Amino acid sequence: MGKKAIVIGSGPGGSTAAMVLAKAGYDVVILEKGPNMFGDLKSRTPSTRFSNDELKRLRHFSEADPDAEPRTFRRDPATEEPLVTGAVQSLPQTVGGGAVHWDAKTPRFWDIDFKKRSLLGPIDGASIEDWPFEYSEIAPFYDEVERLIGVAGNVDDLPELVNRHAPRSGPLPMPAGGHQHSSLLLAKGATDMGLHPYVVPMAINSQPYQDRPACNDCGFCSGYGCPTHARIGALAPLREALLDGAEIREKATVLQIAHDGSKASGVTWVDDAGKEHTEQADVIVLGANAIESSRLALLSRLPDPHEQIGRNMMFHWYTQGTAVFLSERVHSYRGRAYTHCVDDFADPDFPGARAAARAAGLPYFRGGICELGGSQMPIDEGRLYQQLLGFIAPEKPFGTAFKELMRASLLRDRLAGVDLIGEDLPYGFNRVDLDPKVKDVRGQAVARITYTAGDHEVAAQAFYLPKLAAALKASGADVAFAVPQLSTDRFPIAASDAPQTKHILGGMRMGSDPTTSVTDDVGRFHGLDNLYVADGSAFTSGGAHNPTLTIMATALRNVRRWA
Amino acid sequence: MGDDWSRRTLLRRGGALGLASMLPPTVLAACSNDRPAARGSSTTSTPVAIAAAARDAPLGLWSDAPRTLTEHEFKVIEEATARLIPGPTDDPAEADSPGAREANVTRYIDTLLSALTLKVPTVFAGGPASNRAGADTDDMATAVPLTTVQHGAWVDRLTKVRQQYTDGVLALDTAAGGSFADATPDAKDAALVTNPGDFTTLLFAHAIEGMYSAPEYGGNADGVGWKSISFPGDSQPSGYTAAQVKDSDGPDVYVRAGIGDKLLDLLESTAVK
Repeated sequence: MGKKAIVIGSGPGGSTAAMVLAKAGYDVVILEKGPNMFGDLKSRTPSTRFSNDELKRLRHFSEADPDAEPRTFRRDPATEEPLVTGAVQSLPQTVGGGAVHWDAKTPRFWDIDFKKRSLLGPIDGASIEDWPFEYSEIAPFYDEVERLIGVAGNVDDLPELVNRHAPRSGPLPMPAGGHQHSSLLLAKGATDMGLHPYVVPMAINSQPYQDRPACNDCGFCSGYGCPTHARIGALAPLREALLDGAEIREKATVLQIAHDGSKASGVTWVDDAGKEHTEQADVIVLGANAIESSRLALLSRLPDPHEQIGRNMMFHWYTQGTAVFLSERVHSYRGRAYTHCVDDFADPDFPGARAAARAAGLPYFRGGICELGGSQMPIDEGRLYQQLLGFIAPEKPFGTAFKELMRASLLRDRLAGVDLIGEDLPYGFNRVDLDPKVKDVRGQAVARITYTAGDHEVAAQAFYLPKLAAALKASGADVAFAVPQLSTDRFPIAASDAPQTKHILGGMRMGSDPTTSVTDDVGRFHGLDNLYVADGSAFTSGGAHNPTLTIMATALRNVRRWA
Repeated sequence: MGDDWSRRTLLRRGGALGLASMLPPTVLAACSNDRPAARGSSTTSTPVAIAAAARDAPLGLWSDAPRTLTEHEFKVIEEATARLIPGPTDDPAEADSPGAREANVTRYIDTLLSALTLKVPTVFAGGPASNRAGADTDDMATAVPLTTVQHGAWVDRLTKVRQQYTDGVLALDTAAGGSFADATPDAKDAALVTNPGDFTTLLFAHAIEGMYSAPEYGGNADGVGWKSISFPGDSQPSGYTAAQVKDSDGPDVYVRAGIGDKLLDLLESTAVK
């Protein structure tokens, strides 16, 4: 009998870790809190209950129910009263984890991300460190994950900036897929502004790949489980793990990690019927996502002499752009959420950025990748008009006015949206801890998120906001503007109280110094010999690009080092 | 729109603008709260709507006979939602455009309130496809079972929503001078504008869901909600061709006027310059 490993979570990180461990001969048990919405997970194309169903998504089909398992959010660490209680940055809680709801865009992090302190330098107030490895070390693991999950893209067509900072050794497994009309419109505007839009690599089949079909562009992509497996994500490594003997238990909620001295000994988990189980293991891997893994570490009272667990949480700092076209319906409801991106704003040496940073008292700043061309579905659109009619038709905020807006569809079928995913630096004050009052349905303290933007984020946003708006205007849109997603002193009026990004990173970051990190150079807890993290919580810094590919490549690199 | 409160509220409402499909909203319209309260472990509730014996789901997730709403409640809700989303018989301007009445929005609401009365609760339609876009069978008509935790949350949620409907119908009757269903269109509108106990807000949110959700949930009968906005609905297993995704559908000019003009004015005046 081999050594026993428990992996907590079946998302991109956990499934990758389980695959490596099962191949290395471990007896692997994966405990997944959510239900399995697929059939035979050893099949390349298991049956699935995901579908083109907006209402199902809005009813939290793939996420924790926010009433049963809420989180709390506050901006000000001095206040006890949360700004939000409920769904805060929910990732899917289901077999496959975050790779269920993603639209599978797979840019790589850049070389400067991994050597951020050495190459770009420190910033006052932020805890910027180098990762334990460089781009050149993780590059082969990127290659391997790209083959595993099937990434489509044309390396030769990527902008010079991208290939300079994230060079690939050869072609991607599939050529790039088709283009989306709304993305093309915004890409043209970006080009006219001197930016360099490109078709972003994505883990969506542009042609049949490993017996899975090409994507048929159904349009229910971001936020929806893929009904065809053209977008396989974490199910690819999960299948490998299961074929090598791993077991997965669905609806299995881990309550505690037992530990004694320098060893973790096992977990206590509860099944769907509420029955508690204890299970011993030789090694335990946390892959529940950055917020839930940090929460579980705190609930388990893991050794934390420097109070680092849950700190340096990073949430990609969103700025939102809106372009409305009156001359045509741009039909963003067809396709892969969007197809084009712009990376220019992720460059610390973007023209004018260094000077603007210095004027703000910073050595540099970065924005991040811009996703061009998304929109929303009709129920969300209707809800938005319901709210807006209170402003523009308060005497009768319903009736024919509502239907006219739905028919015109200014904010859905004529809309092409942009998300600017700005880098969010690690700060000790941005953290997850246990809420002192709010409990989940099991009676356990929920995650309390305390977050505010630092000077870097606000300065970068102030610099890039008008540039984004100008690029949208240049696309020929009749109405175009950009707004901050989250309030700050600089922009007190914003779209939301709590961060909306699903890119949740940090909390148990890797580093060599136990006073400023939680895990070592392979994601092993400082002070615990056999407890590891394999999700986004291990990130030393947050990068300026969609993180899932990097989560998987990091898990692959790290677990290979010790398994 | 100069004052900060209004701009803040507006922008927050408009928060989905740029992100759209990327962001599942934090608000569940079934509760219609901006900040859903934590339920936590403390709540125990009696499921008002749960029938004594669990029944098997019929084909589709709904039945034509009301399961939970009383006849009177059904009538009031039908008349009220027809004011919120009017159809040909409700407003001359809608002669060619079906509304809540034609989409069977009230049946959607009754189906929601009755979701836990069936052996497999009808909260989540199945998958991967309906039979509207090329499949032989409608997988969406078979509901997905809830986990124990989900079930508990929905018991509490629907208990609360059921009470909101009981109270709301009473309040609308009162606001309309005794009988909402028998009131004139103007009197109905006036009663709805008072938004008693935020009931109009809840009802409108549910009416929107009933108009534009998959027909398996009981509303959007024959897809009339989707047809009325030129939205094709679920597209699996056919999907779209590369040309349908890439190419323009051709000119379709929206002339800036009326309520749409007001909307654009508002957005332009509100954006951070």
